Amino acid sequence: MNRLVVVRCPDLLHEDEDGAALRSFARVVEAVEAYCPWVTTVRPGICSLPARGPARYFGGEGPLVQLVAEAASAVAAAEVGVADGLFAAVLAARGGVIVPAGGTADFLAPFPVGVLGQPELAELLDRLGIRTLGGFAALPEAHVLGRFGSDGAAGHRVAGGRSGELGDLRRPPAGRRTRGRGDTAAPTTAAEAGQSGFWGGVSDTDARAGRALAAVQVLLGPDGVVTAHLQGGRGPAQRSRFVTWSAREARPDTAPDGPWPGQIPPPAPSVVHPVPLRAELVDDDGKAVSVSARGLLTGTPYRLSVEEGPRSAVTAWAGPWPSDERWWSRSRRRSARLQVVTGPAAHLLLVERGRWWVEATYG
Amino acid sequence: MFVAPPHRPVADTGEPGGPPPGRRLDRHRDLTSLARLAERTRPVSSSQARVLPVAPPLGGLFPGGSLRRGTTIVVGGPDRGTHADRVADGSVSVALALLAAASAAGSWCALVGLAGLGAVAAHEFGIDLARLAVIPRPDAAWAEATALLIDGVDLVVLFPPFPPRHALARRLVARARERRSVLVVVPGRVGWPDPPDLRLSIGEARWEGAGTGEGYLARRWMTVTATGRRSAALPRHHQLWLPSAGGGMAGGSPVGPA
Repeated sequence: MNRLVVVRCPDLLHEDEDGAALRSFARVVEAVEAYCPWVTTVRPGICSLPARGPARYFGGEGPLVQLVAEAASAVAAAEVGVADGLFAAVLAARGGVIVPAGGTADFLAPFPVGVLGQPELAELLDRLGIRTLGGFAALPEAHVLGRFGSDGAAGHRVAGGRSGELGDLRRPPAGRRTRGRGDTAAPTTAAEAGQSGFWGGVSDTDARAGRALAAVQVLLGPDGVVTAHLQGGRGPAQRSRFVTWSAREARPDTAPDGPWPGQIPPPAPSVVHPVPLRAELVDDDGKAVSVSARGLLTGTPYRLSVEEGPRSAVTAWAGPWPSDERWWSRSRRRSARLQVVTGPAAHLLLVERGRWWVEATYG
Repeated sequence: MFVAPPHRPVADTGEPGGPPPGRRLDRHRDLTSLARLAERTRPVSSSQARVLPVAPPLGGLFPGGSLRRGTTIVVGGPDRGTHADRVADGSVSVALALLAAASAAGSWCALVGLAGLGAVAAHEFGIDLARLAVIPRPDAAWAEATALLIDGVDLVVLFPPFPPRHALARRLVARARERRSVLVVVPGRVGWPDPPDLRLSIGEARWEGAGTGEGYLARRWMTVTATGRRSAALPRHHQLWLPSAGGGMAGGSPVGPA
């Protein structure tokens, strides 16, 4: 990840009608270019420059920040910061700090999830009790991709300091911000869909159900009622997705045919935890069991503890199976799944970066 | 439209044992009532039917082998263990299995308060996901949401997020009876203060298929005991494969076929 100096001019973030803000910002960029020719304008009011070369030349990041801040402040109020990757560097500029190399994840951890600029994701995570980037980053990546989609996964990599930039910070795509909570007009849509015979023909039963569900949406908001769609995938979280009732698609549910190498055969778990539960799997010496680079367990599972609860005796297990086809790829975090039986209970565990999670339960 | 006498399930619905005591019926009326009975117990979940179909492996748990409309059923596992044990006690599977046949026959179902439905498992049990509404996090509005759903959905499964007050539980039960829906409650740790029409208690459970690394979880054998009121007062003990091999459900003893 590139180490970047970011200059943020809070008064120049928004273009004004006569272009004065943009002209001022152009002068800021010009002033900063005196120290480094590779200044990139990120968006109006924010520019960045690579930290490494200039820092060496000017005797460290501290002196560099000092010089850049002085040059920019001569034109307009400016905040300057340094961090790995653009996303963290912009936040560092807002706080006027230099985040040490490799310290991005720790720096980002206390920020609210909302700074990712994905309001729907933030709202969803908030309802799951996750409010900070640190909490979000702690979730296993293999699970996040299934539950929160590719935008969510991009945010997850940024939150964990493993990626420097969200999809496009420079130009928010048109249309992304147009869907507000109130615009969905779900209740009427749902009611209409119900009355027009969502599934083959108008039926009294369908209309009655449509009215009841519309009423619940009025009570809880459009996201309060969801319906499940099956889709292809390997992990249980990937194999279905929930869409709000009003956004459901009129197609019959068929499990998409594979091949999905690594998919665990049926029966599927009846509970897929929205947020995986922390788990601890130890051998009979109390040593943590993990999965080796060759995809084998490093010990014999003996006891399982979930959410720091009491340790239950493991009576049987199956696996591990690599969680995706890029198991060997270096760009991908290794993760694997393991079915674990503790007496009458059975869980599907996911291990990633040496940590175990209960991803699903055969409830 | 057929209007049920309020608050009183018709006694002869589930039991083709003959005319109610104290009434003498001639042969003709007997046949008519039998024909009516056949019509009612037909496995079609129109709102006129007094019962909803239930998958054959579960039939033995219910008087008459089907779900009587307007009743409340509580599903629970053994009252012990850690939180993780309780989530795994099989009650979610039993509740989903109860919906399968009615859903396949056209009924709408709703799950209130289950944030982590395994939709693939629901599909494997035979639930039509197109007619399954999930209210994952009703929070404080859980009772209100449940009441609204009872008005329009044949089967409502409630996972109460908070311990319900007795009066509130009774109101929901009365509403289900009045609207002729089936209310299935999976109380977990929070409990359910009102004695239900039928209580399904999961006893033993055992998984097959996994060993020491080899194999896959294949199926779970469990015992379920049904206890109820009136015609269901005698406990019925039942053995089930839930899920059975390949997903779904099957009846049978531990030595039964896969």
